[in-house]
Amino acid sequence: MEIGTLFANLALGVSVAISPQNILWCLAGAVIGTAVGVLPGLGPVATMALLLPVTYLLPPEGALIMLAGIYYGAQYGGSTTAILVNLPGESSSVVTCLDGHQMARQGRAGPALAIAALGSFFAGCVATLAIAVAAPPLTALAQQFRPEDYFSLMVLGLVFAVVLASGSVLKAIGMVFLGMLLGLVGTDVNTGNTRYTFGIGDLFDGIGFVPVAMGVFGIAEIIANLTSGERRDLMSSRVTGLMPTRDDIRRSVAPVLRGTFLGGLLGILPGGGAVLASFSAYTLEKRISPTPAKFGTGMIEGVAAPESANNAAAQTSFIPMLTLGIPSNAVMAMMIGGMMIHGIVPGPQVMEQRPGLFWGMIVSMWIGNLMLVVLNLPLIGLWVRLLLVPYRLLAIAILFFCCIGVYSLNNSGNEVLIIGAFGLFGYLLMKLGCEPAPLLLGFLLGPMMEVYMRRAMLLSRGDAWVFLTRPLSLAFLLAAALLLLLVVAPTVRRMRETALREAD
Amino acid sequence: MRLKSGQDLATGLLFIAIGVAALLIGADYPLGTAQRPGTGVLPRILAWCLIGTGALVWLKALLTDGPRIGGVAWRPAIMVTLAVAAFALTIDRFGLVVAMLAAMTLTALGTPETRWREYFLFAAIMLAIGIGLFRYGLGMPISVLPREIADLPWGLPWR
Repeated sequence: MEIGTLFANLALGVSVAISPQNILWCLAGAVIGTAVGVLPGLGPVATMALLLPVTYLLPPEGALIMLAGIYYGAQYGGSTTAILVNLPGESSSVVTCLDGHQMARQGRAGPALAIAALGSFFAGCVATLAIAVAAPPLTALAQQFRPEDYFSLMVLGLVFAVVLASGSVLKAIGMVFLGMLLGLVGTDVNTGNTRYTFGIGDLFDGIGFVPVAMGVFGIAEIIANLTSGERRDLMSSRVTGLMPTRDDIRRSVAPVLRGTFLGGLLGILPGGGAVLASFSAYTLEKRISPTPAKFGTGMIEGVAAPESANNAAAQTSFIPMLTLGIPSNAVMAMMIGGMMIHGIVPGPQVMEQRPGLFWGMIVSMWIGNLMLVVLNLPLIGLWVRLLLVPYRLLAIAILFFCCIGVYSLNNSGNEVLIIGAFGLFGYLLMKLGCEPAPLLLGFLLGPMMEVYMRRAMLLSRGDAWVFLTRPLSLAFLLAAALLLLLVVAPTVRRMRETALREAD
Repeated sequence: MRLKSGQDLATGLLFIAIGVAALLIGADYPLGTAQRPGTGVLPRILAWCLIGTGALVWLKALLTDGPRIGGVAWRPAIMVTLAVAAFALTIDRFGLVVAMLAAMTLTALGTPETRWREYFLFAAIMLAIGIGLFRYGLGMPISVLPREIADLPWGLPWR
């Protein structure tokens, strides 16, 4: 793409993102994101689900800017808890615990936090630019897509979600099917027939995405966390001196660069995201280090690389969502939910029809990253104090916000009942070792796939071979099949298991 | 034969049961034509896929070791679900104060770690935030107190 167009686009984005209101929403998102990132047991998915109803009251730009801020803000917050408490505040900062907490024990919490924040900032800047560069050509490509291509691409997306889910592949596949079935509940838009409504009027419009997400991510999480009496080994020793030494910086430069690149790449994959990225980056650093045995004893490389990677991935995972309208993970599913609340159908047309929204959001990510660096380092003492709030009280607050949030959608008590039911169901799934993320993706993609399937069949006059004869569609399906085969192959499977076990 | 993995066994059963139920309930959903697939096409495909997956999970449970189902935390599971249900069923009829107190107290009953003095202080703060933010801040059309009380002359400002 031409540099001139890129600058014009970014300039448009700046003009939207820099309006006082949007700056405020960006700040709100970043701060809320950091807070939930710091708190173990409350993740960005649940928080975004909580705030979806509130975003209804905002203009769409502000709403999406705030929701995006929660995601990358959580990546910053997660590292604080990992380093100071040895608990992953966020699942994407699991590996940061390994060396980050060791550094804290040696009295070097300050440099660890600083490198984590600066690495994240650098990764955020690069990834934002990557989105700006990659989005237009991808969008142009997406406009050539026919219904069968979309259908097959979604199949590929779901396969990615299955492959990258931790735990059993079979169960993840089952969760996708189950999610798709749940997504079909309600009135069939093409024929007007109702499906699986049991004659209950509240189900005619289908089960809402927000109640399901809040149930399986919010309420189920509360049940699970109330069970485990957690201990927090807080490094109460004052965080003295944030400045990393010159040696720290010298050693961090290359890991940050590698982490950013790897994370950015893995973030684009459907089903990928921050968790996978941070883990892969840590493994890579360990593998190429001349002293791999020293990892786990407080190596700054072990903080710099995964923290850059998770932030880069958090950003680039917006690419498939923004250009194709396909969510690559649960957080992006939430972003799509946010867009749909405002009547924006995600997909390639967003960039053309609402350039202000599109570019404003991208630029706001850069602004948000800047705010996070500026705000977080001085405020670390405040975030640490947040960790002193016991979960028994946090649970009460989260539960109330879930209930009132869903109630505010339609002022309907019955929808609140749905989150109760899905909360219990989500807890059951947890106990069975089934991950809820593929379920949520299936839930969201199922109805979309039905629409594209029908369109494809109509255009091909009932010829189902169209999915295999059209080259793009065939390519997606082949990629999906290959991916599934790879996972089933034993060596890849073993590697994946060890990789994801440590990430759990 | 000994079943080696309780988790997988139960998951397989769950998938198969839901799949069969989806087939039975959806038995009369029309299939339409190839050119215009009807309401029943995708549900049937998905139900069979789910049953198939469930059978494979079951097979795996029979053949390989796997984790058991860990202890179920009945107390939080029941109490948290009841808390949500209580909120859902009281909010329309009795207003925010009753619904919040019911939901919060039931949640607090869900863990043995609750310290009641601390809880009441926290509940009071939450009530203030809840009413202040949602009723007055965001202007949601919820009554704060039950209708009977709100209908009394001095209750008017709380409607």
